[in-house]
Amino acid sequence: MERFKFVLYRPLQMIPVLFGVSVITFILVQMIPGDPVRIMLGSRASAEVIAATRAQYGLDQPLLVQYFYFIVNLLQGEMGRSIIYRAPVLEVVGERVAPTLFLLGYALLLSLTLTLVLAITAARKQGRLPDQLVRVFCTVGLGIPAFWLGIVLIIFFSVRLGWFPVSGFGQGFTGHLHHLFLPSLTIALALAPVLTRNLRATLISENEADYVNAARSKGLPESYIFRRHVLRNSLLPTLNLLGVNFAWLIGGTVVIETVFSVPGLGSLMISSIFARDYLVVQGITLVFALAVIFTNFFVDIVSAMIDPRIKL
Amino acid sequence: MSSLLQVQDLSIDFRDVRAPGGWQRTVDQVSFAVQPGEIVGIVGESGSGKTVTCRSLIQLLPPRLARVSGQVQFGGQNLLELDPPALGQIRGEQIAMIFQTPSSHLDPLMRVGEQIAEALIVHRNMSRNEARQAAIELLDHVGISEPARNVSAYPHQFSGGMRQRVMIAAALACRPALLLADEPTTALDVTVQAKVLDLLRRLRDEDGLSIILVSHDLGVIAGLCDRVIVMYQGRIVETAPTRELLRHPQQAYTRKLIHSQPEMTTPGQPFPGIDPGINPDLDPDIHNKTAERIDSARSNPAVASASIESGGQDLLVVNDLQVRFRQPSSLLSTLLRRAPRVTRAVDGVSLQIRRGDTLGIVGESGSGKSTLARTMVDLIQPDGGSIRFDGHDLSALSDAQRQTLRRQVQMVFQDPQSSLNPKLSIEATLSEALRVHQVCPVNDIPQRVQALMQRVGLDPALANRRPHQLSGGQCQRVGIARALSLNPQLIIADEATSALDVTIQAQILNLLMHLREQMQLTLIFISHDLSVVRHLCRTVAVMQSGRIVESGSVEQIFNAPQHPYTRQLIEAIPTLD
Amino acid sequence: MSGQIYDRNGPVDSTEPSDSMPAKPARRRLSVTLITGLLITLLWLLIALCAPWLAPYDPLAHDLTATFQAPGAEHWLGTDNYGRDILSRLIFGTRIDLQMGILGVLFPFIIGNIIGVLSGYFGGLTDTVLMRLLDITIAFPFFVLVIAIISVLGPGLNSFYIALALVGWVSYARLTRSQVLVLKHSDFILAARVMGYSPLRIMLRHLLPNAITPAVVFSMTDVVLVVLLGSSLSYIGLGAQPPAAEWGVMIAEGQAFIATAWWMCVFPGLAIVLLALGFSLLADGLAERLGTKA
Repeated sequence: MERFKFVLYRPLQMIPVLFGVSVITFILVQMIPGDPVRIMLGSRASAEVIAATRAQYGLDQPLLVQYFYFIVNLLQGEMGRSIIYRAPVLEVVGERVAPTLFLLGYALLLSLTLTLVLAITAARKQGRLPDQLVRVFCTVGLGIPAFWLGIVLIIFFSVRLGWFPVSGFGQGFTGHLHHLFLPSLTIALALAPVLTRNLRATLISENEADYVNAARSKGLPESYIFRRHVLRNSLLPTLNLLGVNFAWLIGGTVVIETVFSVPGLGSLMISSIFARDYLVVQGITLVFALAVIFTNFFVDIVSAMIDPRIKL
Repeated sequence: MSSLLQVQDLSIDFRDVRAPGGWQRTVDQVSFAVQPGEIVGIVGESGSGKTVTCRSLIQLLPPRLARVSGQVQFGGQNLLELDPPALGQIRGEQIAMIFQTPSSHLDPLMRVGEQIAEALIVHRNMSRNEARQAAIELLDHVGISEPARNVSAYPHQFSGGMRQRVMIAAALACRPALLLADEPTTALDVTVQAKVLDLLRRLRDEDGLSIILVSHDLGVIAGLCDRVIVMYQGRIVETAPTRELLRHPQQAYTRKLIHSQPEMTTPGQPFPGIDPGINPDLDPDIHNKTAERIDSARSNPAVASASIESGGQDLLVVNDLQVRFRQPSSLLSTLLRRAPRVTRAVDGVSLQIRRGDTLGIVGESGSGKSTLARTMVDLIQPDGGSIRFDGHDLSALSDAQRQTLRRQVQMVFQDPQSSLNPKLSIEATLSEALRVHQVCPVNDIPQRVQALMQRVGLDPALANRRPHQLSGGQCQRVGIARALSLNPQLIIADEATSALDVTIQAQILNLLMHLREQMQLTLIFISHDLSVVRHLCRTVAVMQSGRIVESGSVEQIFNAPQHPYTRQLIEAIPTLD
Repeated sequence: MSGQIYDRNGPVDSTEPSDSMPAKPARRRLSVTLITGLLITLLWLLIALCAPWLAPYDPLAHDLTATFQAPGAEHWLGTDNYGRDILSRLIFGTRIDLQMGILGVLFPFIIGNIIGVLSGYFGGLTDTVLMRLLDITIAFPFFVLVIAIISVLGPGLNSFYIALALVGWVSYARLTRSQVLVLKHSDFILAARVMGYSPLRIMLRHLLPNAITPAVVFSMTDVVLVVLLGSSLSYIGLGAQPPAAEWGVMIAEGQAFIATAWWMCVFPGLAIVLLALGFSLLADGLAERLGTKA
């Protein structure tokens, strides 16, 4: 189990990246044109009040000191206050996490199911009609804008057929399942072409790999070879691609939440941008970045469990 | 005696859009037989169709790409007509196969024991435990130490030789009657090759296994096989018992193949009947060019003095050279104060080569011979010791002086295709150096390129081709021409012929010997192949684990080796006797 | 030169790189995929160039007598809530969306390849610093970082291009760097160093032409991704600003009327799909021809 030591070491390696992420989110807010205090207090505040607030938030200090306070506060879970919701950013963000998590998980489940079915069908019937159809799906699907697909699905399934609600999160688990079906399907339909294309190509090239030929020379049945050798060797690249695409998936939820008015982090981020509620934008950016970092950590662990060659 | 395997009129066509009818004949009307307990060798160069023939016997060629016709009779059945379930009863069960590169032919994600056991579970209905026990016994049988522990290892934990043993164990699991061995030792070092060949011989003697051994190496075939089939361009040229074939080859191609073997020719002499591809009489430039080189050397103060008083003087002196490779240390390792892993690739090497001499450096993979070569051409900075070229210590020179000196040492690489920039035409590759270093006036460049091509036996009409439009031998000639373009004094050839077919190798060796004389070149020839070194070189150094264990004249090293490792290497050379 | 024996594809020297399998038939001819992709892309370019002559109406002109007209003879693709002709808006929108795709890829392509080659060839501290920067950049979800930057710079296409240049280089840097890392140790680069060529010459003439292929192929796919990104941003309100005839803007404007005027949303979306299809096919065709993965 020597090679699993990295489960302990790897978090240490994340420190430089976490540091960089904090610097960038800090700089983003510094770059906002206009005086943050004036934005916070409104244009009618007096000069004394502004100066006092500035001192109170340490904004009269040098940048490095401000960054230091930023980090200290961050480590205590203090990310400032939202000017719109008049509440701590952490609290505002925390209330919106559940719908986004639900949507992400739901979309992931649908995309993986779709990908596995399509890619395996295509690879096993390589060059024939099912394969051709899957390839068309991948090429065309790559270029379909998700937000538009969502609207088309709404026109058809919600407006015309009335099967699914137009927007919202719903009540209870089944309510969530029902309300988030179209948004999840939209994301899955956008993600599946990328994954399917990759898994199909990997399956086909692994199916011609030397060790598969060797397995054939041993007289093993094709179905056994596919299951034990080809599929197992193909999952690793797809898993890594999924890890890379997780960041993309989060970006997708931002737009899709807006289309379907899901009360999640993405729609909060967009509305906060227009409301100039920059501390909320900063908080959400940070949360999303952390999610990506930890997902990649998780993918690394799973990869190492599948592939004995991977070491730290 | 009835044959175990009878191949009748086997022909194979490959799909090729450019060929008439869309199919290209690759193997044409091949017939042969294998008797029980016999080892039959199929020898041929690349493109001869030997590997494809071997794979087609058990339908391993992809049906979309290959069309096979003819008959393969085995146990009363025509193997080419079997459907997948019936084929499953033959493959692995009665006919098994091992391949050239064991590393890619083992599933990297599966323990070696399971890869041996899976055939037993499928064919013999064994339980997992029984199959595991059988796998341990098989590993023991093929000479893997500690089989009970190693059965749980993954392929990447094994060396190349051990992986090939695992592949043999997996092939033998169901006790097949016939083993197809496709270049089983080509990817291995000579000493490991000798052991694997011993194992195959033992399996025939003890278990009565029949073997078809496919190889490009006549030496390997001669050492193991009872009978040899010579293939050339998809056809069988000649079939004869091994001894008879070697003593009295009937066909011209067989003779050529045998004559291309370095150990069949007097050392230092050109291979008879192998044209180097050039005609010295038609190359009047050569003597002028040689004179010119000396002129240019004279006008260059850094090398002038040494050039004039040539003859028997040391051109290159390497003293106690050290090269270490460090594992790149991460920030984390630094924090944890882990010592960086250091490999001593070159560990205190000293050697000297005299002007006009040819030095061979031999060693197996990982011996550090390539690192040594690269350090000598200044591609790698040494960590210790010194290199003196023509009396100048390289480390003591300024960058500009060093650049000038460096042009005097050129290199020829192993893989002829990849040593040329795929995007550049031959003309562009050869003229670049002339232009960059202003070797001659710009107007003269086209003639110089043409002269260079002629000197290495290339038709100047090929000048506009790209590397992928040339054969391996032609690419290697371009590589040699490029090395010659700066009129160097020393050429270091790193495995320059090991990627080539044996008859092409003979051509290139002939060319090198010819150029060496015409241009008074000093040559360092680095190779794993002792017979080539014996043929070409006058002095030899033997490397092992970054050190030179023995050096001396060719006669000393080959006739009276002192160091046990040298002896082991020489014994492992496959010979035609 | 007569009588000279050359080493020209003679019978003995007809070597293939390996004997194991005949090489797969090389695809020299232009494939259907590549041609189709090229044609679609050229068609869109033509539409963008000739927009004023092709469009039947002024894309911005309101006509309150002809609002919400369904597709028909007068207005082939219908009109919107201000009575603007959808077809004319689509045709003029090509200019904006195509420009987004091309400029949004061009800047990252140049920056990324320069960084990739430098980082891969020199290694050491240069590489460490640049790759750390890359790690940090990819720790953010691409889309989230882009909108965060745009929110700071203010909505609009200029902010979009700046944000992409700041974030989009990572893909190209990674692709080209990994190619350079492999090529750096290949024999022909070693040969160039032995020949005493300068680092600049080696990078520009020997490394870059051979290392850039995957980046070129990816740039075609990237055009698709950037057009999708740009139209999404415009849809949200952070990209092109109304009343510009941009496809994402048009979809956003139509969303309020999906129950009554479906054509307002559907046609701009189809336009995006078709534009993307051209570049996707181009990417596939190029990958096939240049022998790299898409």
